[in-house]
Amino acid sequence: MSATLTSRRMLLLVLVVLVMVGGQWAVPGFTNADQLGNQLKIATFLGLFGISQTLAMMAGGQGLDLSVGAVATLGGIIGAAVINVAPAGLPVGLPLALVAAALCGALVGVVNGCGITVFKVPPLVMTLAMASLVDGGLIVWSSLMHVNTAASTTLVALAGRSVAGVPSIAVLWLVAGTAVWWFLDRSAWGRRLMATGANPTAALLTGARVRAVRIAAYTASAMIAALTGVLLVGYVGQAFLGLGSGYVLTSVVVAVLGGVSLGGGRGDYIAVAIAALFITALTSLLTALQIGEAGRQCIFGATLIVFLTMNGWSVGRRAMAA
Amino acid sequence: MKAGLTERLQPAREQPVHGLRQCIHAITSRNSSALPGVAMLLIVLACNAFLQPDFFSADSLSSNLQNAAPVILVCMAQAVIVLLGELDLSVGSGISLINCVLAAVPSLTGWGTAATCVAALVIAVAAGVCNGLLVGYLRQSALIATFATGAIWFGGALLLMPQPGGAVPEILGEWFAMRVGVFPLAAIPVLAACALWALLQRHRFGRRLIATGSSADAVFKSGVDTRLVKLLGYVLAWLFVFGAALCISAQTSSGDARLGLPYTLNSVAAVVIGGISLAGGRGSMLGAICGALVLVLIGNVVYFAGIPSNYQEVFKGAVILLALGCTFIGARKPA
Repeated sequence: MSATLTSRRMLLLVLVVLVMVGGQWAVPGFTNADQLGNQLKIATFLGLFGISQTLAMMAGGQGLDLSVGAVATLGGIIGAAVINVAPAGLPVGLPLALVAAALCGALVGVVNGCGITVFKVPPLVMTLAMASLVDGGLIVWSSLMHVNTAASTTLVALAGRSVAGVPSIAVLWLVAGTAVWWFLDRSAWGRRLMATGANPTAALLTGARVRAVRIAAYTASAMIAALTGVLLVGYVGQAFLGLGSGYVLTSVVVAVLGGVSLGGGRGDYIAVAIAALFITALTSLLTALQIGEAGRQCIFGATLIVFLTMNGWSVGRRAMAA
Repeated sequence: MKAGLTERLQPAREQPVHGLRQCIHAITSRNSSALPGVAMLLIVLACNAFLQPDFFSADSLSSNLQNAAPVILVCMAQAVIVLLGELDLSVGSGISLINCVLAAVPSLTGWGTAATCVAALVIAVAAGVCNGLLVGYLRQSALIATFATGAIWFGGALLLMPQPGGAVPEILGEWFAMRVGVFPLAAIPVLAACALWALLQRHRFGRRLIATGSSADAVFKSGVDTRLVKLLGYVLAWLFVFGAALCISAQTSSGDARLGLPYTLNSVAAVVIGGISLAGGRGSMLGAICGALVLVLIGNVVYFAGIPSNYQEVFKGAVILLALGCTFIGARKPA
């Protein structure tokens, strides 16, 4: 187990380095400090959405959270609106916005979790339906209320500031990632989540409250997505409908590349984080090479397939009909 | 939890059928999972008939059918794969690719309608084989493998048609809108797909397909090459996808690389509304068709009820969520 874990991390790390070296060779200046800082920022958002997806997938039962995009949009719009409504001059805007976004996210997450555990709707379908409901709700809301959703200066500063060349949100990602790693790998809660995902019946028999654990996983996933949405507004400069929709499937890809099992119960956030770096580096290399969207899509898909196939061979074959 | 465990341990259901009574029993029990879907379809149909004044006139039936045909076909494709215990997230971009082939090839190569259609069919089957190889033989997770191939199909579609445009052979559109008496020709692809599926149900392959979805392990141990079954299942599904793309292209008569993308998730939703288990092996094609019709008619109801366009999205989302809730509450009692 630990051997496959480290080999996965190494493989991904080697790929990141390969892309970087190849990029520097093909496009001089690809790895200068400015570029790296910018890439790190983009990777941060992917990595944060990766946390959401990792938690939902670890909870098992074909777990998946396809509502992260809609929830991020929700969090972003609510957060930006709250900051702009809050009295200027007092430093309450940002905390209030974060709390409001987290609460909205938590609400969606609880509904997701209850639908999945109590009504036994498959996660894929449940989170998808919630996503369309949230998106639809946001369309109605934005047509009724005309709130200023431009990013406030605080948000722009939060997402744009760099400390000694390292973007501050990347530091935030480092802290969040370490916390998630500690949670999954070292804490009793993380063990319970893994046990629930790996074998719910056994976990139930050993005293884990399987339903509560799953609801908590989806709630945490949605809260993180909503908070990431607030940060994303700071980076993009404006909250708009469809803000987070580009991250839905890429977050799944990042989690799967990082070795989180779709069956649940297996996952390593460090590998997921490296996978986020890899996908970001690959995308920006393709952009830097001025390959059009058609070529980018093809190369992206082909890389994914090659990686999956390679990984299937290196990790070894599972039982015939897994 | 326990129910899920015993469900998985149950062997594939392949009992012989004797006598009329048992035959009827077999049919109703096989289709029982579709009941919530059928009920929902009746409700939506009633709303639609109430709101759309001339719903039962030949003209509006025909135009509704033209709207529904591609959705039904793509949902049938997804249903085949979900019954097989897998998933295909590339059907939408596959539709785009086939659509772009139909729209771009005639002007690029000067081929006639028949040659263009054959080229599109070859591409559809090749895509099915590709997905089937990845999922069946290389044993990749269907979710992620078909997501990856979907990106490639989409890239191919963009390569052919960077901007929407082009022209699908006109004769397709003319046939599609034609009506012989009260019988709209748009029904033919759907009827052909249903006939093919019904035929396969009488055939060994259809049984093996569902059995593989139900318990691939048991079927493999009883000497069936489940990898081949999966490959052929994907090819069958992509024949349906080809039909769907043909219908859509006939309707729009131009090419657009983003045209098919919404169909992927709609097809999954329809399959679930139709009561087919995403775990595989449980459910009926009837359910999938009902699910597809529910999705199409909800769109109609929203339109004819005069709901403001701002509210349409949230209304659709709520109805689908409600439909799902009903499906799963209805399905909770043991079959």
